[in-house]
Amino acid sequence: MEIRKGKYRLDDRNLNFDIVADLNFNKSAGLFYFRGGNGFGKTSFLEKVIIPALKADSLRYLYIGQDIRTQLYTLRALLSIQGFKVSDTDEVELLRLWINQGQSASVLILDEFDKYFPDYGFIFDWSADFIRTYIIVTHLAMNRRESFADNYRIFNVRFELINIDGQLKNVRVKNE
Amino acid sequence: MAIYDLDGLLDKYSDEFLILEFNHLFISSSIREEVWLLQRKNDSLLIDKIVQAAREFSIQEVSDERDFETYSGGQKAILACLLTLALIDDRKIHGLNILLNNVLDSVSEENRSKLVQKFEEIRLTHNTRLFTEKDGYIQEILIGNGNPQR
Repeated sequence: MEIRKGKYRLDDRNLNFDIVADLNFNKSAGLFYFRGGNGFGKTSFLEKVIIPALKADSLRYLYIGQDIRTQLYTLRALLSIQGFKVSDTDEVELLRLWINQGQSASVLILDEFDKYFPDYGFIFDWSADFIRTYIIVTHLAMNRRESFADNYRIFNVRFELINIDGQLKNVRVKNE
Repeated sequence: MAIYDLDGLLDKYSDEFLILEFNHLFISSSIREEVWLLQRKNDSLLIDKIVQAAREFSIQEVSDERDFETYSGGQKAILACLLTLALIDDRKIHGLNILLNNVLDSVSEENRSKLVQKFEEIRLTHNTRLFTEKDGYIQEILIGNGNPQR
């Protein structure tokens, strides 16, 4: 899956992304970190650019969003429907079951999951056998070394505010 | 193991702390409504104060009527902190202990520093203390030794 360089305008979010260079998610096992200021569109970029591109390429993905509360309710319901007895299952086990169910996925997206678990290497333990690309939105510093990252090629994608034109935010997206 | 245990958090800490929790930042849908519920009146001065402060955090598109769900996660966290700070000042509340849960982790390094600075200012004038909880332990955040850059 590739996001070509160019302008991507999201009128309903008042965002206009300028992707400086092609973002190629097809390279060898990759860890893409998305960083940038608050309100610069990282989550919108996931939802409106990355996920539609994954769907267009028929690539399956798992997405752990920022609003973990809603997602955990949904996971519990989803797994119940699939026949799992999860009424008393703790939340980490819920996530493990869900990830284990998603082995047809090749992309895993984590949107600020590190605020719940600063050390979230267990997600990699559960998924590294089938996930090829991880996309991680984070506010953690770039110099923070994570042990699970050793096995992956790292891409640091930065979201920078160029200017605000009326209500529209022009945001540069560049791979550092 | 719990990722998100609101009941546990409240049971443990609500007697001693005012808790700002990332997944429950507001009880209404806009700054205007939130201020109305907290002040029981349309307090335009307080709203202006929050809106002005939000602009210092580059939330240019802030307005009193805008639905919270249209802000990013980090922006919502900042707005909740600014609302709390403005209320503490307006009501001249002293000696409050505030517990931030997954709040500072939701904002950029730059905004985190600015927010901590704002809490530090109110600590000096209103004896307000700021804490976070990690792995079951409470930590106080102080300028100098507590800037929560990880």
